[in-house]
Amino acid sequence: MPALNDLYKKYRDRGEFYIVYIQEAHPVDAWQMDVNVKEGALLATTKTLEDRSKAADTCVIKLGLDLPALVDTPDDFVERAYTGWPDRLYVVDKNGRIAFKSAAGPFGFKPEDVETTLKRLLSEGNTNRASNAEGQRRGDQSERDLPQS
Amino acid sequence: MKWLLRILAALAGLYAVLYGVVYVAMRQPPVRFGQFMKRMPPVLVWAALPAQSMWLKARQGTLAVGEEAPDFTLPRYKGNGTVTLSSHRGTRPVVLVFGSYT
Repeated sequence: MPALNDLYKKYRDRGEFYIVYIQEAHPVDAWQMDVNVKEGALLATTKTLEDRSKAADTCVIKLGLDLPALVDTPDDFVERAYTGWPDRLYVVDKNGRIAFKSAAGPFGFKPEDVETTLKRLLSEGNTNRASNAEGQRRGDQSERDLPQS
Repeated sequence: MKWLLRILAALAGLYAVLYGVVYVAMRQPPVRFGQFMKRMPPVLVWAALPAQSMWLKARQGTLAVGEEAPDFTLPRYKGNGTVTLSSHRGTRPVVLVFGSYT
């Protein structure tokens, strides 16, 4: 995921980034994918925190991720709250509200949408302008409605 | 003519059943959906159905932009303590990347 690393490098001093490591999308014991077999991405369904931490470790190393990773609980508490599986992106603003929610992955997983939101939030923060954008942005709305910064 | 209509009706019925079953499966928790897809010929899902739009709808979730992000505390993956989402409140935006290796 070079796009994620680039984003992290660019904004890490102005925002927090976390991978939330959740249940495997294509574990060997369920819906396995040929492409994962070819690439040797072979992991079983993770049932304990230990399993999941190991899987997260493998993922971070193999994909060369620079972002800090958190491990979701074995009962998928955070995944269920955020409907995060199989993958999904969120931006939470500094008031603790959801500023961006991507469509469900893999189709909706577009790191460039996160950058659009970050730019908006950071420029709002700088000018101290009241946020009127709340609720305007949904999923895949494009950049054209946003103030140019 | 009658037999043709019957066949068409039967096919439409089968399609509706397939659509319904797959959609319900998509709304199940990940592990159950994975077990379902393991037994499903991929072509029945990806070629016969508008699977992508079904998926986006089934996995839309309940949170919406503008709502308060549910708080959580999770361990860092190498055991270096925990992170609580709300601890960043009032300081900086937080990007959350949900995913797994496979």
